[in-house]
Order: sequence, then structure tokens, then C-alpha cells
Amino acid sequence: MSRRTFACLAARLFPVCLLLASPMTGADDAFDKAERALASKDFDSALGSFEEALTADPDNLRNASEYRQATIQKAIAGHPKEGSPADFDREIAFFGKLTEANPKASNAFLNYGFSYVDKIPAAGSITQVILANNALGYFTKSIELKSTWIALYTRGNSYLYWPRIFGRAPLALDDLEKAYAMQKAEGKKSYHVRVYISLGDAYWKTDNLDKARAIWKEGAAQFPDSTPLKDRLARDGDALKDYIDNVLDPNKRVDTNLRELWMTQ
Amino acid sequence: MKRVLLATVACGLAGGAALLADAAVGRWFQDVTQEAGVNQKHTNRSFDNPYAKIMAGYTALGASASVADYDGDGYDDVFVTDSKLGGKNHLYHNNHNFTFTDVADQAGVADDNDDQNATADSLWFDYNNDGRPDLFVVRFGHSKLYENLGGGKFVDVTKKAGLDRYSNAITAIAFDYDRDGQLDLFVGSYFQPINIFKPDSPRFFPENFETANNGGGVTVYHNNGNGTFTDVTAKVGVALSGWTLDMGHGDMDNDGFDDFYVACDFGTDHLFHNNGNGTFTDITEKAIGFDTKKGMNVDWGDYDNDGLLDIYVTNITDDYMREGNFLWHNNGNLTFTDVSRETGTAETGWGWGAKFFDFDNDGWLDLYVVNGWVSAGKESYVPDIFSMIVKPGIDLADARNWPPMGNKSLSGYEKKKLFHNEHGQSFRDVAAQHGVDSTRDGRGVAVADFDNDGRLDLFVANANSEPYLYRNTMPAGPHWVQFSLEGTKSNRAAVGAQVRLTAGGMTRLQFISGGNSFAGQSSNRIHFGLGESSKIDRVEVRWPTGQREVFSGLVADKLQKIVEGKGTKTK
Repeated sequence: MSRRTFACLAARLFPVCLLLASPMTGADDAFDKAERALASKDFDSALGSFEEALTADPDNLRNASEYRQATIQKAIAGHPKEGSPADFDREIAFFGKLTEANPKASNAFLNYGFSYVDKIPAAGSITQVILANNALGYFTKSIELKSTWIALYTRGNSYLYWPRIFGRAPLALDDLEKAYAMQKAEGKKSYHVRVYISLGDAYWKTDNLDKARAIWKEGAAQFPDSTPLKDRLARDGDALKDYIDNVLDPNKRVDTNLRELWMTQ
Repeated sequence: MKRVLLATVACGLAGGAALLADAAVGRWFQDVTQEAGVNQKHTNRSFDNPYAKIMAGYTALGASASVADYDGDGYDDVFVTDSKLGGKNHLYHNNHNFTFTDVADQAGVADDNDDQNATADSLWFDYNNDGRPDLFVVRFGHSKLYENLGGGKFVDVTKKAGLDRYSNAITAIAFDYDRDGQLDLFVGSYFQPINIFKPDSPRFFPENFETANNGGGVTVYHNNGNGTFTDVTAKVGVALSGWTLDMGHGDMDNDGFDDFYVACDFGTDHLFHNNGNGTFTDITEKAIGFDTKKGMNVDWGDYDNDGLLDIYVTNITDDYMREGNFLWHNNGNLTFTDVSRETGTAETGWGWGAKFFDFDNDGWLDLYVVNGWVSAGKESYVPDIFSMIVKPGIDLADARNWPPMGNKSLSGYEKKKLFHNEHGQSFRDVAAQHGVDSTRDGRGVAVADFDNDGRLDLFVANANSEPYLYRNTMPAGPHWVQFSLEGTKSNRAAVGAQVRLTAGGMTRLQFISGGNSFAGQSSNRIHFGLGESSKIDRVEVRWPTGQREVFSGLVADKLQKIVEGKGTKTK
């Protein structure tokens, strides 16, 4: 089954994948070429082909996500730990040009934001703030163009990483409650567990522990195997704070791989 | 008879164990600042220039404490700095009863804060090798070298020594990098050498937060052995322009030549390997990698008793900036691995001075860390600074772009950490238990046994506040030994000498440092905790010249003097 066929099949099964399905053969060919190059660790060729695929189909969430993951792989392969900050400049520059050329491509803006998030663990603590702030700007642009579940979840989750003193937790709550309402209206998807986790964290971070525990419990009822939910529900007080602080440590890489959106239900 | 002897030995062991058990609980440090007479407050320098309000937030520095037995009476004294205009520095003479008398005025070393100079730190070092510690007063402005004339008198010899130049110096260490028997001087500067009191340009702030190279760097002065120094910075291969906050020396590869580490604010720390020919090689990339943190402190010590010196560096760790400190474990191959997270020493807030020392005499180096930047009003300065940071294209080097701090706090009211070494594997914070978890804005830590009782005391210099003198009152039990070393072929203060002591089946390493750790200089005596071992099996001294001497049969619980090539003398 070719990736295009798979994407089309997935699109029928899964509405979010409509964003991924594309009739553009050129983009798919370039994507397949990129995947082959990536499999043989030819990172530069892979990145070039992903860029070709995205240029042909700028709003393709899958192509953009895989491009970024390839960038991360290359960075980690080339440098210890989380890569060098410069390793991420190519994708940032590329998304900058892509969004400039396609100002209505909401998913391109979303991934532009993600490209800054991808760089954060490789950067110093002050640059992390600048990168996170840039990311938020592009997530907002994406939401302004199209208010999707993934964009609201992403921006809401990003707000959670800011220290309390910046007062961004209420903004997180707002986005995540909207994403929660969307997923309630949509039917259960495996990735919905993420909103249960983050929305609870947002309640916790706005000092509403009862609501936090309630949403984590609701999530645990829906997703009983979720370790992050179990971990949170098993803790209280300082132990819970330490746990969440550890989860939200900007030095740890955030999983920005969107594959779950089209690989699972 | 045999049974009686066994019973006696058993009772002895049980008694010793009970003493150690008692020593395992309780509060072992007593704040004696007031009664000791060392409570003069430090005050930050206020500037009178167009950038004064902005500078106020970034110059809360200058509180330091440096220990030496300047008059050779067998008791360590301490020099404590102030920074305010007209503020007097203090030379606290030890009265031998845990009280001190400020003799700075009589000694001629009190008045070093004027409208063109602000004291930032101080360093005792015997620049002329006459056996009397001389005093280098580190200043934003013109640093000063005072020769110790004996009899409690000092004289300014800065110009004669060739050290009179403007720099915004903040730290200094002295060690004999070329093993010629003379102590060389390393001066670290924070701002570049612009006149910070009357800057002619607003562009003197750090150009960025992580790789700034527009600071004051490091200047290396070679001691010519005739009372003068020569700037050899370029010649020895030390080309730095970072925002130096601290330096520390130690022999990382046990080759007999001391290497040194430079901690920089706003950017990359540097590690220099001594090539053994009077030059250094910057091995940062291979040894520790390039960091982007805010290095504040350097101390060297063998925390895991593996015979290799490790390095502790404080950085900033708060909820808005989670850098984590470095505990660089020495891998023995000119590389280091940061084990701060694994050992529990990573998070100490806005870190400043930190010092390895064995406060409970168990034979493992513990660690005291002070912290806190500005403790003022309830409002936080964090949003202000981050509003500036995220402005696109902002010129950070321009002081005018930085928001004034006013009465806001930034990483203030932080609790100090006393990390107990758990057999070289991890550390446990016991600061609250022992009463040393104050929330003043700590800067420097100096460790000394001020009453010669075998228990190490702490002097803490705080910015804009009174210092703390903590007397160690740990119950008797664990054994110890101290060594006072005197070089004959080596520099007389024996700076750089390593001592390896074996007792109870364990070998420990200590060395004499020439002022390691930020804004604090500790006693130049070597102190070993021996735990339950009352017998010392072996002591090996490696002098700075490289010569080794081995001693056996030395007694515990005493201060002993060792003169290079002439044996020991118990005091």
C-alpha cells in the first residue's frame, strides 16, 4: 500500500486525516523518496525531498511532521544529547519561507511553531524562552486560520510550559477546554488522552486541584492504561508538583511527532 | 586476660560508635556572627551615571570573605569586603576565643571604596614568598596589592608590582602555573575594561545571554620573582573575553601542573589544560563541551575519593530558568561528565559561592552552596526581563534597553544548601537541620577552623546584608587531622600541593588552593576528616615542584606542620 493510498484510506476512517490526504502525486513521490533516504540515514537527501513534498503540498500535516522528525533525527545523530541549536535552523528557515509563500496554510504555521519547539531542548535557557514565544506566535496564527483540535491542544499545552509568573496557565485552560469540547463532540480517539492530561495540568496550574483530579479521573476512565494519568492520580502535594515540574522541564524534548493522528484511532 | 582485653576493645568500639551515632543527629552549626564581632553589613555600590538605575540590578556584588593567618599566630583571620562608596573593608583579627577585632584601619587596608573603585573580592597570596600572606583587593576600578610587612602593617605596592591598571575585576586566584616557585596571579573581570563609574557609551552590557563575548575575560600575570608581575595572558594561551565570575585551579590529570577552569556568566565556561611548558590549551570542547549557562562558582575537590579532582560549578536554576549546576566528575582522561542531577546537586536556585569541605569529619567532602540574587519587594522582576528578551532584534549590549529592577526581587529569599556527601554517590541537603539555610543573598563562602578544634567553621558573605559566621559545634567523635604546609623549593605557601592520606582502608585527596570558589577564600590548611580511624597509615605530599614525600606514624586529631624536605612537626 503506498503512502498516498494509506493516507486516503485513513482519511475515510478518520476525519483529521482529511488534512493529510492529498491528491498531489508529486508531493507523495517526493515524500516516498524522502522516506527511503531517511531509512538509509541519508539525512540531507531526506530533508531535501521532504521540503520538495511540502513545497508541492504546503498544508500537509503528515509531510511537515515527518520532515521535522527527520530534522530531529539528524540533529541527534550529529551531536550528543539533543543536537546543536544550529541543527534546527534549516527547518525554521524553510517553514518561514513556506508560510510566507502560503499565508493561508494553517498546518504550515502549526509546524512552523513546532520547528521552534523542536529546537528548545538544544538551546540555552534564555533562548528557550525566545523560541517558545516564537512558537506560540505561529500556533496562534494557525488557530486564527483554522481552529483545529490539534492546534488548540498544541498551543494550550505550550502555555503550560511557562512558569506561573507569566500568567499563561489561564490561557492554556482556555485552549484546552476548547479542545476538550471538540473531542467530546467527535468520538473517542486514542490521542484524546493528551487533552485529559494537559487540561488537568492546566487546572492544577491554576490552583484548581479538584477539577484537575476530576478531569484526570475522567481521562483514566476513558484510557485506563494511560501511565501519565495514573502517575498524576497517584500523587498529591509536593510529589505531584515535582512530577509535573519534571514533565514540563523545557530541557526535555517534547514529542512533537504527529504520526498518532493518522496511524491510530 | 584475653577475654578482658576483648571486652575492653569491644567497649571502646561501642563507645566510638555511640559517639558517631550522637553525631548523626542535631544542629551542628551555631550562628555566632554577633558575639564574634564580625557583623558589619555589606552594602552594594550605587552608581551615579545615566545608567545607574539599570546597573543597580546587575551589580549586587562585592560581598566576599577571605581567610588567612596573616600574622602567623596560628589562628586564621578573615578579610571581609564592603562595596558602598566610602564603605570600609574589614580585617577581622582572630582573638583566639572565637571573637574577632577589626584591625583594617590600623593595618592600612580598610579604605578601598571610593568614587572610582568598588571592592568586589579579595585574595590572600604570598606574592614575595616571604612567608607572610599579602593581600590583593579585587576591584571594579584599579585593584590593589598590599604587601604584608609583618607586625599587622600593610603597604600598597600595586604600582611597584606592575599591577596598576583599570579593569572591572571580580575574582582572582594565585597559583604557580609554571612551577618556578612563585605564585602567579590570575584576575577575572566581569565587564570589559570601560570605566563603569562614568561609562562613555551605553553599550557595555552583555551582548546576549548565552554566548556573550564582550566581557572582561581573564588576565594572567606572571610573577617575576622580584616583586613585579608581567601580563602574559596571550603568551600562555588564555584568550578570553567572556563575563568571568570565577576561576578555580587544580591538577585534573595528576601530572603535577595545575590546570584551571573559568566560570562565565552569560556564556561558555572554559577549561584550560596546563601543557607543562608555561602555556595552556583550551580543552573546553572535548573536556566538558560548550555550555550556555550562567557560571558563578568554581571549586575543585575529590568528592568520590577516586584520586581525581572533580569540579563544582553553580549556575541558575529557578522556575523560569532551569539550567542546573555542574558537578563535573573527572573521568581521568581529560574529560568530565556532569553528574549534578544524579548526585542531587543540580538545583540550588541562583547559585553563587560553593565550597567542598568535610563538615562532619567522615572522610567525604560535603558541599555548602549559597544563592539568591536580589531579595527585595514582593513583585518579581522576571516578567520585566523576559519582556525585554523576546523583543525582536533588541540590542542587549545597550544598557538602556534593560529594564530597571527598582524594588523588585529576582530569585530572592533562596535557602542555602548544605549537601552531605553520601559516600561519593549522592548528596543530601541538611542545611535546615544544621541551621545554615538562611535566605539572605549569599555570595561567598570561606571555610576555616577558626578555633583550631578540628571542626570546620563557615563564614558566609552576603550582598547588602550582614555576613554569617557559623561555628561548627558537632559533638566529639569523628577523628581528623590538619596539615599546614610550607614550601622550600616550592612556593612557600605550598599552593598546589596535593596530600593523599590513607586511613581506615581509604585514601583521600586534598590540595591547597589559591583562592578557589566565588567571593570566598578558605584556609590554606589541609583538613582531613578521618571518621572512626584514629590511626593514619600513610600520608603522601606532592609538592608544587613535583617532589613527593611520604610520612607514616602521624597522629590524628592534631594540626601538623610539614616543611618541604624537612619532615613534620606536631602543633
